[in-house]
Amino acid sequence: MSSPAAEPGAWRAALWVLPALVPVATILVAGLGSALLQSLGLMPLVGAPALTIDAYRVNAGDIATSAALSVAIATAATAIGVLIGVTTALTAVAGRRWALWAGTVTVPVPHLIGAATIGLLLADSGLLARLFGLSEGGWPALVGGRWWIAVVLEYAWKESAFIALVVAAVLATRVAAYDETAAVLGASRRARLRLVTFPLIRPAVVAAATISFTYTLGSYEVALLLGRAYPEPLPVMAIRLFTSVDLATRPQAAAAAIVTAVLALLAVAGALMTLRRSAGWR
Amino acid sequence: MSRVVRAALVLWFLVPLVPILLWAFANRWPFPDLLPQQWGLDGVRSGLAAGAPHAFVVSATLGLAVAAIATPAGALAARALTSGRLPIPRVVEAVLLAPLILPAFAVALGLDVLVLRTRVPSPLAVVAVLSVAAIPYTTYLMRVAFGAYDKGFEEEARTLGASRATVLIRVQIPLLAPALSGAAFLAFLVGWTDYVVTLLIGGGRMVSVPILVASFAAGTGNSSVVAALSLAAVIPPLILLTLVARAGPRTGTST
Repeated sequence: MSSPAAEPGAWRAALWVLPALVPVATILVAGLGSALLQSLGLMPLVGAPALTIDAYRVNAGDIATSAALSVAIATAATAIGVLIGVTTALTAVAGRRWALWAGTVTVPVPHLIGAATIGLLLADSGLLARLFGLSEGGWPALVGGRWWIAVVLEYAWKESAFIALVVAAVLATRVAAYDETAAVLGASRRARLRLVTFPLIRPAVVAAATISFTYTLGSYEVALLLGRAYPEPLPVMAIRLFTSVDLATRPQAAAAAIVTAVLALLAVAGALMTLRRSAGWR
Repeated sequence: MSRVVRAALVLWFLVPLVPILLWAFANRWPFPDLLPQQWGLDGVRSGLAAGAPHAFVVSATLGLAVAAIATPAGALAARALTSGRLPIPRVVEAVLLAPLILPAFAVALGLDVLVLRTRVPSPLAVVAVLSVAAIPYTTYLMRVAFGAYDKGFEEEARTLGASRATVLIRVQIPLLAPALSGAAFLAFLVGWTDYVVTLLIGGGRMVSVPILVASFAAGTGNSSVVAALSLAAVIPPLILLTLVARAGPRTGTST
């Protein structure tokens, strides 16, 4: 409290951050570093290390297909999640909080269980097929079908709740006052949305959407349960190769994992560039 | 119009949970029937017989261990970040938030070999990876809390002669309790809901609830067991959530 110079404060602050910083840095560097070395043939389970990009080359076609599929699923799920999440947050800030409460209920649901229940809802013998009385052949292939609809909907379901909660928190703290001022000054509801609310929530929406996108990109169990066997999203491909009895596929598994991590980093770089151009970012 | 939108949103969030509510208590539910033919607890019984109690102990232990590590670590880091005295704060923050965006399966996949070679017990490695996954949430939540926190109370207590320990126990922790419980809850959820890290590093020996559910969900004809286990997995955190929300910060808009 009576520290004359900034130095002791800086030391103490550095010390306080260590219990979080050391494990995070250690685990990330060790995990991703080891995956990178394995993918480059420098950490073989048997034999001598030798630098090679074979693990990337052998499966290049499949990795490209899987990467495109993963990005497509994550993009579709995030787009739906943003649309529904922002709408939910807007209804909540208008004073009707039912939708936000309903969304909160989905937060503690593990994705694996979300996938199980979405399967029981959307499969061709699921609850909706029973409800609409559509028997064999009449129900579209939502689970395991060509368009990965059940997978996208499961992610969109959980992400929309996450995005709604993040955006509602920003709306409640920052936007309400500006919105009232604009209303007092005679701005219409539509003008307030376009000129006050959307610019102010934009950074939060971009941040929440980026987290949702990268999460979906790296998620495994939902596509495993609700998807189809081929093509596979990157994490499904990586873990199938990783758990294969053939040890020679381990470097290929690591290569798929590294490609996923690189795609996630690219998404974040894109989001940061978008945020830098927006005024609300501090 | 807006009433229709609100009703649609409530349905969007709640309808997907209906199948597990029904299936958990359905002994027989052949296809075209809208409701189960025979209600009962066969699913619950099969779950209990398949080792559900042990799986719940494993998952609860994981959740509690992750919360016990990630909450104080995140709180301390948040204090440092809001002190304004930390060197290179932007870099530190970027590293602490990195687990949010880097795929956990890739980290776990890479670590697996190291865990085997260094002979670190796999449960310890699982807890470490999941704690790292939880630290961004706890750090962020506590950062927001410290941002709104009035240091005047602390200074006043010190001026009145309170020791550092007294200030910590009587001033800091009570003021931050709502944020701390929220952060601990989120960290608990990271451990409670994880599947892929336990699968890859646990090596099949750690059977948590999601691992058990997955083993049933992979087969057919197990809908009632899957639903019963799922329901049992969702209810404890929902109860915790309502408790945390009740203790939560009263920052809602007053109008």
